[in-house]
Parts: sequence; C-alpha cells; structure tokens
Amino acid sequence: MRISTIAFANLRRRKGKAFFLVSGIGIGIGTAVALLSLSGSLREEIGSQMDRFGANIVVTPHSDSLALDYGGVSVAGVSFDQHQLSNEDSAGIRRIPYRKRLSVVAPKLLGTVDVDGRRTLVAGVDFASELRLKKWWRLAGRAPESATDVLLGYDVARAVSAIEPFPGTSADADKSPAHHSAAPEKFRITKERVTIGSREHRIAGVIGQTGGPEDRMVFAQLSHVQDLLGRPGQLSVIEVSALCKDCPVEDIVTQIRKELPHANVSAIQQSVRARAEAVDRLSRFSLVVSAVVLAIGALMVFTTMMSAVVERTKEIGVLRAIGFRRTHIIKGLMIEVVIISAAGGIVGWLAGLLASRLALPYFTEAGAQIELRVSLAVFAIAIAMLTGIVSSVYPVIRASRLDPSEAVRYV
Amino acid sequence: MAFVAVENISKTYNDQGSRIGVPVLRDVSMEIGEGEFVCLMGPSGSGKSTLLTILGAMNHPSQGRLVIDGIDVYALSDERRADFRAQYLGFVFQQHHLMPYLNAIENVMLPLATLPLAAIEKRRRALEVLEKVGLAKKWSRMPNQLSGGEQGRLAIARALANEPPLVLADEPTGTLDTKTGDEIMKVLLDLSARGQTIFMVTHNPANAALAHRVLYLRDGELEPTPGVVEARSEYCRSGQG
Repeated sequence: MRISTIAFANLRRRKGKAFFLVSGIGIGIGTAVALLSLSGSLREEIGSQMDRFGANIVVTPHSDSLALDYGGVSVAGVSFDQHQLSNEDSAGIRRIPYRKRLSVVAPKLLGTVDVDGRRTLVAGVDFASELRLKKWWRLAGRAPESATDVLLGYDVARAVSAIEPFPGTSADADKSPAHHSAAPEKFRITKERVTIGSREHRIAGVIGQTGGPEDRMVFAQLSHVQDLLGRPGQLSVIEVSALCKDCPVEDIVTQIRKELPHANVSAIQQSVRARAEAVDRLSRFSLVVSAVVLAIGALMVFTTMMSAVVERTKEIGVLRAIGFRRTHIIKGLMIEVVIISAAGGIVGWLAGLLASRLALPYFTEAGAQIELRVSLAVFAIAIAMLTGIVSSVYPVIRASRLDPSEAVRYV
Repeated sequence: MAFVAVENISKTYNDQGSRIGVPVLRDVSMEIGEGEFVCLMGPSGSGKSTLLTILGAMNHPSQGRLVIDGIDVYALSDERRADFRAQYLGFVFQQHHLMPYLNAIENVMLPLATLPLAAIEKRRRALEVLEKVGLAKKWSRMPNQLSGGEQGRLAIARALANEPPLVLADEPTGTLDTKTGDEIMKVLLDLSARGQTIFMVTHNPANAALAHRVLYLRDGELEPTPGVVEARSEYCRSGQG
C-alpha cells in the first residue's frame, strides 16, 4: 500500500469522471494536434505553391548598362553586356548542393526584333520551364511545338491584328486581373502567321492580358531567338523558382553566387516575404486556436477537480486524521492528475493525428501527407500534463488545506 | 505521569460573519492513564466531538495544552502533528469512513501508506490486526461486501494498523443495531484487556458502563463523576475482558 495505490484505486472507482477528464483533455490536445499537423502540412503546401508561383530568384549578368526592364527586374541591355550569361550558366545552377530545392530554372534571352514591321521585345525561352513558372498566364491557342512557333503578348497581338474580340464582347472587356482560372479568352486568333525579322513564324497562341510586360512581348524558343539575334548560347536572364521548405532562399542564392561568380544573383524579396508572411499567419492562427481550446480544456479540468475535492472532503479528512500530511494529499491527487493528463495527451495525440489525416484531403492537394512526428507526440503529452497540473494546482492545494476535524464532521 | 494530559483546554468557535465566539469547551482538564478505557458521555452539543478532535490532534484548542506521552501536541507544526497522528493515534469513526474503493486489507493498510515500511511488512501487520478483529478470512472483501458489524470491526482494525498507543472512538456503535453494537464493544473490550488505551465518546450508558472510567461533559465543562465506574459488564468480570 502506497499513496499511488490509493490514487490508482480511486481512478478505477471513478471511471466515469476519469473518462470525462481524459476526454476533455483529449479533445483539447486532439484539436491542438490536428490544427498543428494540418497547419504544418498546409504551411508546406502554401510555401511550396508560393515557391512555384513565379520566380523568387533572378540571375542577371554583371553589367553597367540597364537598358531594358523585365517583370520589375532590371535586365542588362542587349548591346552593352560586359559579362554575358550562357546556356552553361543555366546548367550550372542545376549543379548547386540545393539543386533538389529548385522547382524551375527558366533561362531567357531578350532582344528587340521587328514583328510585322514594329520594333518589339522578343524573349527566347524554354517553353516547358516558362509555362510552369508563369502559371497565371491564360493561353489562347496552344503551347509552341516547333522552333518557329511563337506566343504573342496581348498588346502585340492586337497591334499586328492577330486577334479580334468575339462577337458581343469588346477587347476592353478583357481587363480583369490575371488569375489562374481557365476562363476562356474573350477574343479569337484571326491570324496564323507573323513576320519576325525576315522570317515567317506561326502564331501558336496569344497570352491573355496580364497587365505586365508580357503584353508587349513575343516569346519564341530560346535556341531560335539566339539564332535570330545572332547570339548563340547567350542568355540575358535566368529566373529560378526555389522550393524553400526547411531552407532560407538566401542559402540557395549564396550557392548560385558561388557557382556563377560572374553573375548578379538576387532573391525577389517581395515573394520571399509574402511566403514567410502567409506561413506565419497560418502558424499564428493555429497557435491561437490551439491555445483557446486548451484553455477551455484547462477550465474543464479545474472545475472537475474543484468538484472532486468537494466530493472527496470526507475522504481527504479521514486521510488527514489517520496521519497523512498535506504533501501526501497533494501527492495522491497529483498522481491522479498526471495519469489522467498523460492519458488525455496520448488519446488527444492519436485523435488529433487521425482527425488531421481525415481532414487533410479537404484542405490540400492530393499527395500532401501528415508526418508522424515523435516530437509532436512528446509535445502533446507534455502540454496535456502541464495543462492538467496547472489547472489542478489550486483545487489540490485547497484539498490539502481542508481542516481534518471539519472534514470528518462534514458527513 | 498520565499518558494523556488535557490541561485547561477551552475551545471557542467563531460563527461565520460574527465576531462573537461560541464557547464549546470551558477549561477542561483531565488525564488518561496508559491502558485505560475511558468513556465520554454528554448530551448533544455538549462538546464531546470537539474534545475528541482536540485529543485527536486535529483541532487546535483556543486555550490550554494537550500533552500525550510527554509531547505538547499543539506546539507541533501542522505537518509534524500529522506525523504524530500517524504514530500515536488510531481513529474509529461513527460512520466508519471506510474507503469504498479499497478492499478490507487495503483499508487496514491505509494508515501505513505513508510509513517507510516494506510492502510485505505492511501486509503482515494488516493481516495481524484483521486476525485480531476476526476478519482475516475476509481480507479481500470490499467494504460493501461486509455486514455492518464487520465494517465496524474493519474500522477498528484500520485504527490499530499503525499500532497506536491511543485509540479514539467516536460513537462507534451509534448507528448500529444492538447485536452489531455489542460485537464492536466486544472487540474494544478485548483490546482494552490487552492494555490498549482507549478513549470513546458514546451516548449509550450500557456501553459506557463497560469502560474503566466515565467522564460526563455538559455545556462544555466536565462534571464531577462519582469516581471510577466500577460496574464493568459480566463479560469483563468473567475474565474475558
């Protein structure tokens, strides 16, 4: 017979109350675990989606001339580059230690050409990479297939009369903000070919209005543009989309700088900060909701323990009368609280894990997974015990201070 | 020197919200010798239970001293007094106050739970006292599986588990029928005959008559009694007590 024997026997006797307490703590912990697990997965998903949505690193050549502007990023002038980027640099980026974090590497050569007699900015791109990077592009037509296939920006297409509005719509009606939806364009392509330089090219598609520089550009295969501009193997800019899970984008920038010492490598701070902010907000939301649910759980433990102390006044009085110290009473009650809290923590962790696994498909794309983290289990049990102990301190101390003569007379 | 010395003890309870105290005990002095069986009688509200809880080191008197085995009980700290209760006192409550979730032997071992004894020693002692009260064969029964008399005997066994020099009993037969009450008294008289010091509060004159001495409390004061009550029962005289 030890104090723990009494605690265990008491728990066995008061199964209903113990179950109620375990459930209460379990719900609190389960909610917290589910939210934290979900937010962890969502955090990765959001981060990864934001990483894929446009470039977050831009590589440009060292240059004294900043003649052209592309996407808010200054690009070296075509004619005055002191250090050119090349196809080899694009391959070099793929050799950095964090290469697995690189989602898209999109090299470009920029230059000016005559399109149906109009001076126009042309971009030689790798379409497979470019279309993955520019997910907000709404393409009318199809992706280019051959070397002489081109994509026209909206303004260029209008200027060369390659498109006309559908009957009943006007070109101006298509000024909605760019987005990913697959809404059909409100124009149709009316021209099949366009003359770039002195050569005929097939118009594969027209990019819906974006409000960006793309509207005033023509896109063609990189190698073809390199030939067209007489700059074989040269690049003007390389856009990189990095997946920044578990690594700061600055680390990737540093590695690219090391690989390409002759280039300017910079993180687009706007996108990096937007990602961090979105992820932080989600984390804060999860923490606040978890804290509220845990506080409710703690309040429930507190009221239950208070009622248990009142209910057990006689028992505590008898124990005090037969020689139990206050500390013995505290010890006995705390053993019960710790057992209940630990059980609540385990139940909550399991329930939270199950709930998050069931709920995950409703919040994320297929393929996202809830990780089975030992640290989360330890955290859940520790928080459950802390919640149980903290919310029981007052009732337990109150119980230990019961006047034994009053308590025995109480019944 | 008496084993228990109550020296000029007074107790006044303060009514909640009132500054006027209600005197319950007034300048009570008495002594209990080692091995004595003393009964305390008196009408309801006379202060019997208060005196018992003061003797039980649970209720600080407003004035006076309680000395047991040379120890000034209320000079001890609260925790030391708890240790004193564990070492010196055994309680038999009117309602028995057995723990319904512990079986008979566990109930008996309860006062031993805080003592630094080996589990086997605790069990040995518990079985020994269960033997004394005739419940050794029912050690595994839960309290609700025992009759009223057996529950009373189990409560006495619990009071004896720590081998206390002084057993305090608060109307142990008060709620029992005559036959069961007699059963309890028989156990107490057996203990008394073996030299156990017992102080018992009772309303029952027949039970009081079995004690070595009867004290009478009225309005918080001990009344002079005609001396030691000699009339012990036939049971005692016959040499069994």
